[in-house]
Amino acid sequence: MMDIRIAPQMSVMDKLKILADAAKYDVSCSSSGSSRKNDGTGLGNTVAAGLCHSFGADGRCISLLKILFTNECIYDCRYCINRHSNDVPRASFTPDEVCELTMEFYRRNYIEGLFLSSGILYSPSYTMELICETVYKLRTVHRFQGYIHVKAIPGADPLLIQRAGYLADRMSVNLEMATAEGLREMAPNKHRQTILKPMRQIQNSIAENKNELTLYKHAPRFCEAGQSTQMVVGALPESDYQVMSVAESLYDKFSLKRVYYSAFVNVNENKQLPSASAGPPLLREHRLYQADWLLRFYGFKVDELLTEERPNFNMNIDPKADWAVHHLEVFPVEINRAEYRLLLRIPGIGVKSARRIIAARRFGNLTFEDLKKMGVVLKRALYFITCNGRMMYSTRIEKDYIVRNLTYQNQMGRGEKLPFLMDGTPYRQMSLFDAVPEDFRFCSTVQKAQ
Amino acid sequence: MMEEKYIICEDSLEGIFTAIYDAYALREEHGHLHVQVGEEENYRLFAVYLHSQPDIDKTNKVIRTLKDRLGDHVYGAVCRAAASSARDKGDAVYHTVVDGITAGHGRRTMENLCDPYVNRTFQLARYTANEVHRELEFIRFQELEQGILYSRIGPENHVMPFIMPHFADRLAPENFMIHDENRGVFGVHPAHKEWYLVSGIEEGTGEIQEKARYSDQEQKYQEMFTLFHKTIAIRERYNRRLQQQMLPLRFQDYMVEFLQK
Repeated sequence: MMDIRIAPQMSVMDKLKILADAAKYDVSCSSSGSSRKNDGTGLGNTVAAGLCHSFGADGRCISLLKILFTNECIYDCRYCINRHSNDVPRASFTPDEVCELTMEFYRRNYIEGLFLSSGILYSPSYTMELICETVYKLRTVHRFQGYIHVKAIPGADPLLIQRAGYLADRMSVNLEMATAEGLREMAPNKHRQTILKPMRQIQNSIAENKNELTLYKHAPRFCEAGQSTQMVVGALPESDYQVMSVAESLYDKFSLKRVYYSAFVNVNENKQLPSASAGPPLLREHRLYQADWLLRFYGFKVDELLTEERPNFNMNIDPKADWAVHHLEVFPVEINRAEYRLLLRIPGIGVKSARRIIAARRFGNLTFEDLKKMGVVLKRALYFITCNGRMMYSTRIEKDYIVRNLTYQNQMGRGEKLPFLMDGTPYRQMSLFDAVPEDFRFCSTVQKAQ
Repeated sequence: MMEEKYIICEDSLEGIFTAIYDAYALREEHGHLHVQVGEEENYRLFAVYLHSQPDIDKTNKVIRTLKDRLGDHVYGAVCRAAASSARDKGDAVYHTVVDGITAGHGRRTMENLCDPYVNRTFQLARYTANEVHRELEFIRFQELEQGILYSRIGPENHVMPFIMPHFADRLAPENFMIHDENRGVFGVHPAHKEWYLVSGIEEGTGEIQEKARYSDQEQKYQEMFTLFHKTIAIRERYNRRLQQQMLPLRFQDYMVEFLQK
């Protein structure tokens, strides 16, 4: 009998290389939101705050074993490296291989759990079934009790999505593009409606499950850590206002736990899309995340931050400072009196320091020195606050003056701490051969002698 | 004028708590009493130095009182501060306890951040807590021949008592051991049993390490994780500075993905 093999049998190592590489553009990394003790029958537990087990060369956290089940795909999305028409090496795991990798990585404390996504093999339902089978094996045969994040494949049988939800801690469906037109343009095989459908289904199931759990404490849990999604930004000319409005409605109407923003990287060197040479729009992505935090933890609404007339974030100062300088009528705020919600609106004061202020001022009046010790960033806050009726220095409460001071500090390398240079390009590890001006040489990181 | 009294104690939770007990037993004004961990290097004139020997009964009494009067939250913060490597921790912890019990701030004590001692305890507790959190993330176990998981760490603070419960729960079916190289302390967990600490066997640990052999599988998984670690980074976003900020070099020295070539 003849044995026809198109590709030689691949080792798990080779598969891992291909399928981790194919999964790396998915941003979601968190392992948070779920808190579960080990029940004594197997390996693993989950921690509410989540744990990041390592950090890659790009500074992104590595929390989960993030892999695709397969990078074979019937779709042809223009932004995706795994699109059908690309000539890239293809591979598929077997459920057993995924389980073994997860268990062995987990017991060595390399990872917090599994993040399983997949290209579309044959059909959405077929793919979803493979994912379900893998996760089912991991949970039942291997008794794995760590964190599992799986993708819900749009268009898959709702029953399969339901099954996956009872096995996973978090599920996600990627919205991909902020606008329906954008999606149509970039991903001809995907439709906004088919993406929103499973999202709604997961939302409803989580809500029902909450009710069950209040009645029956030991009822099986459905996606304990909620669901998330991601949007690619910078591929199409959508505005920050559009992106943030979509995020806001996802939080409000779909009860999402997280929305991730992914700075577009032109992996397919598509001529019609922004080129790769300029680098991904990291500063913009950073501003979107800052605004996202303002929505979720600081009580801001998108309409307060952006408007139709001013649809994009100021790249020079962060969204919160930008809001503050446009609302100087609110300031200065008296630290010893202001209510919590108002404290949160002051640049340089975060959720933690606001809580500490509220708690500490019960014991006596706070001074600037006290604030500093509590973690308030005074160099940003000083323009907006008084302690016992006094400002820290005699500063003017005037928009241009404050903006100049906040950004001046930036030019001096002091002000806002950004994870990359102001033009949005990451700090690269410079080698001696890079053509860089003399002045910059001294700040290049010297690679540790190996 | 009242003379300043310094109570010198052993560098351990037991030592500090016993010293606090002894300080209260003096029945003097707390403002003139100080608890100092370890011997004084630079003796002060006109100060009295007392020595306190760790005592299990006194320690237990202090623990009971703290839990009772200050609650688990403050008690936890005090324990974490006492595990810190800072030299001034004894005094900070002692006066925080005074603020809680004698000044009567009770369960609210840690909120009184204007008080310099409470503030210092708060800081120290946070340093320890941060390091504990990082060790939970960055510890790497290596599998030895008999299937035992072994890990080395080099923390600044005495984090072992805080990380063991986490791993004992997570890795319940595993035999594992964590070795704090800076203190010569071992955390040991036999499968499905209670964990415990072992110290004072610094002699011959080098020998143990030499004799221990890694399992056949170990090298393969280290290589696979190193490969995964390398592959998952996006080239267009390379940012070593950010990586190092999130994952300081002193941890990287113990992590397989940074040691493999």
